[in-house]
Amino acid sequence: MPLAEVFGVLARKVGLSLFAEPSSQAEAVVWSIRMPRLLLGLAVGAALALVGGMLQGLLRNKLADPHLLGIGPGAAIGAAIGSAAGGVQGAIAGGVAAGVITAFVIRRLARKASIDPTRIILSGVALGAALSAWVGFVVFGADRATVPPIEFWLLGSLTGSTWRAFWTVLVFIVMAGIVMLASGRFLDVLGLGEADARHLGIDVDLVRTVLLIGAGAAVGATVGAVGVIAFVGLLIPSLLRPFTGPLHRHLLWATLAWGALFVAAADLLARLAFEPIEIPVGLVTAALGGPVFLWLLTRRQDV
Amino acid sequence: MSDIAVIGRSLTYRVGEATLIAGVDFEAAPGELVAVIGPNGAGKSTLLNLLAGNLRPTEGDVLLDGVDISEALPRDLSLLRSMLTQREPIDIPYTAAQVVQIGRFPHRRDVNNSAARDAAAVANAMATTDTTQFAARIYATLSGGEQTRVSLARVLAQETPIVFLDEPTTALDVAHQERVMAEAVRLSRQQRAVVVVLHDLNAAAIHSDRIVLMDQGAVVARGQPRDVLRQDLLSDVYAQPMVVVDHPFRDCPLVLTGRGTSH
Repeated sequence: MPLAEVFGVLARKVGLSLFAEPSSQAEAVVWSIRMPRLLLGLAVGAALALVGGMLQGLLRNKLADPHLLGIGPGAAIGAAIGSAAGGVQGAIAGGVAAGVITAFVIRRLARKASIDPTRIILSGVALGAALSAWVGFVVFGADRATVPPIEFWLLGSLTGSTWRAFWTVLVFIVMAGIVMLASGRFLDVLGLGEADARHLGIDVDLVRTVLLIGAGAAVGATVGAVGVIAFVGLLIPSLLRPFTGPLHRHLLWATLAWGALFVAAADLLARLAFEPIEIPVGLVTAALGGPVFLWLLTRRQDV
Repeated sequence: MSDIAVIGRSLTYRVGEATLIAGVDFEAAPGELVAVIGPNGAGKSTLLNLLAGNLRPTEGDVLLDGVDISEALPRDLSLLRSMLTQREPIDIPYTAAQVVQIGRFPHRRDVNNSAARDAAAVANAMATTDTTQFAARIYATLSGGEQTRVSLARVLAQETPIVFLDEPTTALDVAHQERVMAEAVRLSRQQRAVVVVLHDLNAAAIHSDRIVLMDQGAVVARGQPRDVLRQDLLSDVYAQPMVVVDHPFRDCPLVLTGRGTSH
């Protein structure tokens, strides 16, 4: 579709007629299909990158990522069940509930493994693999007409995004996002270690609980709407840290913008790279994020 | 309200079957530097952690400036007491200046505080700990002793009336040991209560106003350095012959290890 036509539709929506009258078909494509898809991609990207940056601070581990830790696959189980019951809004609600529950399971694992950062990541990877299998059991046991297929949940896709999905996800992301953005200074203090954070007046248990609820809710909402889009939470904060410095009160704001752009751009690639066939957006982000993860693993000591 | 800044009343701390601290009373007044000494496993660090509110006593209670710490909010405690712990690694690549700056966190909602006030406190703390030259260095790349000094600067920047220091001179060279102890003395002269766990008996002899000698979870002796650092008492508690003489030019005892071991 030519750009002029796209702008024509957008201009009409804000009450201007700068361009030639667009066809009603063009209007439907731009306004009902492309626009919610773009906005949902931006919102999901911002949320995933923000949660990644926040978790890396909370767990004091550069390898933390909501999906690698298993929150995404856990949320996908709830989302798949929810979608059988209530469509996309049911999926988002189920994703939020299951995401929060999974976040607390991780918390228990993290408490036992807090001394060894690699161990908590490995526990998360194992947990994620097991939970992914359970997504499969739910999907294959469900009605194919109502529940999206397994590749939607585990590889993520923005195809078929709706305004309804966007607004529902946005409510959760904004609420959880405000909490996480406000936590930057607390995370900076927590970076000194738990004991010193306590000496400086931080209620460590309370901060952990609140932030894990936020992470579970935000990630769960994105999974309910678009499935698991891997590596965004890992990649974006790691790439930004050299520019923002290690302080979370600077880093977290930057993750919002760059996470949003990254997922929107990855979705564009997913849609156009093999046109007319669309590939899952999670494949694009994983193809870029996987090597970065390996690179971080090998130079973990000095990141 | 009492004018005793730190009060521990019949503190007992048990973990499972083991009793790490049994019925210890403790006091430190504003303007006083109290050293806690004793052999490994005597319960010195446990006592300090109970007083600072890091551990909850099984029995007994702790008052800091008249506030029962079991009822105090973490934030209120952070304005009352600061603590230098035995070094914990910091994985995040903070610079030394950022670490010290984080020490100002408790004052963020204080109406009398300002960015200029924070900056002055940080600069001052770094100057007195001789760490200004590390300001832009990554904390994790500093040597053990340098990290201890930066952490001490962070504690100073917190500006609390009560200061707990857990083995602050470990890993420091002689010159910086002296500097850190002189800083502890200076803090106490600013009418703060300073409680220091020390292994170096002579550092305790020279710099402290009072000494608390612990052994096996209990207080064996307490009082002025001359009353606590006695040859018979130390030889007994440390299970090692000790000799105590007069310091050649300071008005305090000097402790030397004696010949042989009693094991």
